[in-house]
Amino acid sequence: MSSDKIDQLFDYVQERCLWQFFSRSWDRQENIDGIIRTATDLLTGVDPKRDQPMDRLFYADAKIMVADFRERFPWITAIEPAEVRALMGTLRERIVDLAITRSQNHELSHSIY
Amino acid sequence: MGCDITTKERAGVINPMYDCQPAGAQYAGIGVKDCIPLVHGGQGCTMFVRLLFAQHFKENFDIASTSLHEDSAVFGGHQRIRDGVMTLARRYPALRVIPLITTCSSEVIGDDVEGNINVCNKMLKEAFPDRKVYVVPVHTPSFKSSQVGGYSECLRAIFKTIATRKATATGKLNIFPGWVNPGDLVMLKRYLREMDVDATFFMDTQDFDSPVLPDKSIHTHGRTTVEDIMASTGARASVALARYEGASTAEQLSSDFEVPAHIVATPYGIANTDALLQKISEITGRPIPDSLITERGVAIDALQDLAHMFFADKRVALFGHPDLVIGLAEFCLEIEMKPVLLLLGDDNSKYKRDPRILALTKKADWDMEVICNADLWELEKRVKDPDTKIDLILGHSKGRYVAIDGNIPMVRVGFPSFDRAGLYRHPTMGYQGAMELAENIANTLFAHMEFNRNKEWILNTW
Amino acid sequence: MPMVLLECDKDIPEREKHIYLKVDGEDTRDFLPVSNAQTIPGTLSERGCAFCGAKLVIGAVLKDTIQMIHGPIGCAYDTWHTKRYPTDNGHFNMKYVWSTDMKESQIVFGGEKRLEKSINEAFDEMPEIKRMFVYTTCPTALIGDDIKAVAKKVMAARPDVDIFTVECPGFAGVSQSKGHHVLNIGWINDKVGTLEPEITSEYTMNFIGDFNIQGDTQLLQAYWDRLGIQVIAHFTGNGTYDSLRGMHRAQLNVVNCARSSGYIANELKKQYGIPRLDIDSWGFNYMAEGIRKICAFFGIEDRGEALIADEYAKWKGRLDWYKERLKGTRMAIWTGGPRLWHWTKSVEDDLGVEVVAMSSKFGHQEDFEKVIARGRNGTYYIDDGNELEFFEIIDRVRPDVIFTGPRVGELVKKLHIPYVNGHGYHNGPYMGFEGFVNLARDMYNAVHNPLLKLAATDIRGPANATIREAAE
Repeated sequence: MSSDKIDQLFDYVQERCLWQFFSRSWDRQENIDGIIRTATDLLTGVDPKRDQPMDRLFYADAKIMVADFRERFPWITAIEPAEVRALMGTLRERIVDLAITRSQNHELSHSIY
Repeated sequence: MGCDITTKERAGVINPMYDCQPAGAQYAGIGVKDCIPLVHGGQGCTMFVRLLFAQHFKENFDIASTSLHEDSAVFGGHQRIRDGVMTLARRYPALRVIPLITTCSSEVIGDDVEGNINVCNKMLKEAFPDRKVYVVPVHTPSFKSSQVGGYSECLRAIFKTIATRKATATGKLNIFPGWVNPGDLVMLKRYLREMDVDATFFMDTQDFDSPVLPDKSIHTHGRTTVEDIMASTGARASVALARYEGASTAEQLSSDFEVPAHIVATPYGIANTDALLQKISEITGRPIPDSLITERGVAIDALQDLAHMFFADKRVALFGHPDLVIGLAEFCLEIEMKPVLLLLGDDNSKYKRDPRILALTKKADWDMEVICNADLWELEKRVKDPDTKIDLILGHSKGRYVAIDGNIPMVRVGFPSFDRAGLYRHPTMGYQGAMELAENIANTLFAHMEFNRNKEWILNTW
Repeated sequence: MPMVLLECDKDIPEREKHIYLKVDGEDTRDFLPVSNAQTIPGTLSERGCAFCGAKLVIGAVLKDTIQMIHGPIGCAYDTWHTKRYPTDNGHFNMKYVWSTDMKESQIVFGGEKRLEKSINEAFDEMPEIKRMFVYTTCPTALIGDDIKAVAKKVMAARPDVDIFTVECPGFAGVSQSKGHHVLNIGWINDKVGTLEPEITSEYTMNFIGDFNIQGDTQLLQAYWDRLGIQVIAHFTGNGTYDSLRGMHRAQLNVVNCARSSGYIANELKKQYGIPRLDIDSWGFNYMAEGIRKICAFFGIEDRGEALIADEYAKWKGRLDWYKERLKGTRMAIWTGGPRLWHWTKSVEDDLGVEVVAMSSKFGHQEDFEKVIARGRNGTYYIDDGNELEFFEIIDRVRPDVIFTGPRVGELVKKLHIPYVNGHGYHNGPYMGFEGFVNLARDMYNAVHNPLLKLAATDIRGPANATIREAAE
C-alpha cells in the first residue's frame, strides 16, 4: 500500500468533507467511523446498511465520496478488496489523528453543545 | 383648526427616529482631526454606529471599542479602558484626542471614568513624554436623551477638556452648525468667505465627503484640530445654528471664557438664512455682499416657480432632528406648504417650550400636530388614516417603508439618508439649500404624479 | 514560524496567535489560530455583540414575529436597516423594530412593568401578529429584569400569543457568536416540540443556517419543491415562528451555516435522533454535491440527477463565461467565519479565483480547521482582524477584490480595491446554481471596473494611455 495513494484520499477528504469537522470529538468519531465503514462497503461490493437514519446519513456522504474517488483516482477500482480495506483503515486513522487526536481545537471535548 | 402639541402615549417604541446617546457622541468625535473615539461598552455599540455612518456618507470612519464583556460587568471595566487608550495611542502615533464615550452598560456598572482617565494620563505621559493625548470623558448613557443629546454632550466635553485657557483674541467666529452634511458645511463656509468673515466650524466635517486619490491616501476624517478648539476661547463670538446640537458648547464658552454666544434660528429657508447673515453682519460689522443678494434672488426666483402652482396647500409630515424639523417646517410656510405633522423623537422636555414651535402653532390656521417623544409608528398610523391626508413626507431613510407602503412621495432629508445617492453633498440650509431642496421636492412630486398617473398631463406644458 | 506577527501588531504581540500563513506540508495539527477569544480593547476590531448575533442574525429573519428589544433605543435602532433578508409576505421583518425604550427611572426601579406594557402595546398595535421574541440587552441584564416571568404573564393573559425569550446581553461572550448559541439552545429547549407540523411529503427535512439573504432560501426552495422534499422549518430564512416549533418531526437536518446554527442541529440529533448533514450551498460543484447527498439519504437519486442536469444546462455556460475571465483573480474574504470555508474552494474550482487572505470576525477553531484544510498555501488566515492589520495584509497579498461588508468596502475603495458585499451581497441571491452565476457576475463587474484605472492615474504626470484605455 503506497503512501501516495493514502495521500490522495486524505487530501480529498481534507479538502471536501465537512463531516470530519463537526463540533465535538464524539460527533467527529461517529461520522468518520460510519462514513469510512460505509465507503469501504461500497468500494468492496458490499451493500451497506441503510435501515437506520444514521446509516442513511453515512450512506449519503459515503456514496458521493466513493463516486469522486472512482472518478479522480481510477486506480481504486483496480485494487483488491483486502487492499481497499487496509487503505481505508489507514485513511480512517489519519483522519482521526488530524480531526480528533491531535486537533488543537479546544472546543472538541466540551460536554455540551 | 390649530395646533396640538402632544407626547406619544405608548411606553414602547416601534421604529425609532433617533439612535441612542453614544451614537451621537461618536458622530461629534469623528469631527476632530487625529481623533479616534473609544466607546466603553459592548462591541455592537461601536460596530453598528460605524456602519450607520458608512451607510449615510459611503465612507469609513475609525471608532474603537473597549469590548466590554461579562468579566467587566462583574469586576468593572477599568483595565479595558486603560488597555484601550494605550493600544490606540501606541498603534496610532498621530492620535491626539480620544473621547472616552460611555454607554448604558458602562454607566450601570459604574466604572469611574474620570479616575481611569487620570490613570491613563499618567501612563500616557510616561510612555510618550513628548506627546499630548487628550482623553475626554463623555458621559452618554443610552437610557437618557438620544443621539441628538449625545452629539451635543460629546462636543461640549471635548471643549471642556481641550479648551481650558483663554486664548489670545483671534477676531474669528466660532460656528456651531450642528449635525449637518458636508454639503451644508461647504456652503456655510462659502457664505462666510463671501462676507469676508474669518470663522472656524465646529466640527469641520467637510472631508466626510472625501476623494479616491492616485496615491491611495485616505482623508476621511474631521478637520477640526486641537489648536482650533484651543483658539475657540479667543474668538470674537460663537454662533450656534442648532439649539439642540452645539448651543450648549457655545454657552459654555460664554460662561467660562466670556465669548459671546448667539443662538440663531437654524438657517432653513430664506428668512432664517437672512437672519443668520444679518446676525453675522451685526457681530462682525461686515456687510452682506452683492453675491449673496444675487444668490438669494436666484433662490426666490426658483421657489416662485414652484410655490403657489405646485406646493401650495400640500400637507407635509416632517420627522428627524428637532432643529431640522422645526427649520424645515418654517421653510414649508415660505413655500406655501402646510406642515401638518411634526415628529420629534426623544423625551427632551424643552421642545414643547421651543419659541419656534410656539410661533408655528400661532401661525397654524390648519390642523397641525406636534408629537414629542415620537416614533415612526405614529407617522405610519397617520399615513394609514384617510383623515390625515399627507401629501409629502420630509425625513430620513428610516421612514422609507412608510412612504413606499403608503404610496406617498418622500424626500430624504436629515440623518441617515442611505437610500438615495449623494445627499450628503447637497446643502439643505441657506439660499442654495432652500432652492435645491425645493427642486428635489418638486421633482419627487412630479415623478410621483407620473408613476401614479395623477394629473401627470399638467406637466405636458410648464 | 507560520504564525505571523505583523508590523502593526508589535505593541500587541498576542495577536501573533491569531494570524496564520499556510505553508506547504502543514496542517491544523501544526498550527491553528486562536479564535473566539476576547478582542484587545482599542484595536478597531470588526466584531459586533452577542445581542446582534441573536436578534439581527437569526431572530429578526422570521416573517411573522415581533422582535421586542428590552433596553435603550439604540439596540433596536442599530439592528434595523442593516440586513437584506426579504420575505414572501412583504418584508415585515425588515420594516419594523420594537423597543421598550428603557430610561433612567427603569434602570433605577426595574423595567419589567415597562416591558409588559410594551409587549401588550405591540400586540395591540399589530393585532394580526401573534408571535414574539423578547431580548434582554446589556442594561436590562445588569439590573436583572426577569423577562421570562413577564412573557409568562402576558401569555397567560393573552392565550392566542406565544413568546420566546432570549437572554443574551451584548456583553455576553466575545462576539456575535455567543448570541447564535444562546438563541439556538434556548429555542430547542423552550419551543421545539410544542407544535406538531402538518406532514405533506414522505420526505421531510429542516434547512438550517440560511437566512434568505437576497432570496437564497427562496431560490433553494424551488429545488426542494421539485425534489418533492418538504422543508418543515427553515432556520430561519423566510421562516415562521410556528414552523420552527415543529423541527423535531423532520427526518434530516441539512446544515449550511454550521457556525450560527450547528448547535440546534446537534441538539436535534442528540434529543430526537435526527441526522445532521452539512453541505455547502454556494458553488456549482458544492450545490450539486449537496443535492446528491440529500437525495441519496432519501433514496431519490434520479430526481436529484435530473435537477442537477437541468440546472447545469441552464447556468453552466454562463458560469464558464465568467470563469474564463476571472481566472487568476486574487480574492480576499473578510466576513463572519463560515463563508471563508464555504467560498475558498468553490471560487477556486468553479471560477479559477485564488483566495489570498481571509479574516473571520467570529469563527471558532472549528471554522479555522475547515478553512485551513480547504484553503491554499501562501494564504493568510486571520481571526478577528483589525483595521491596521487589513492595511498590512493588503500590502502583502495585493488582492484584486475583497468580499466584505459595506463599511470596509468604503475603506478599501480608497486603496483602489473594489469590494463585493460579502454579507448582504451586491445583487444576489448567491446560493445555488443561479446564485453562483450572480456572484461570478458581481465579482467580474467589480474587478473589470474602468474606474479602477482612472483612480490610479495621476493626471499631473506625463500624459499616458491609461485614461484612454480605461474609457474604451
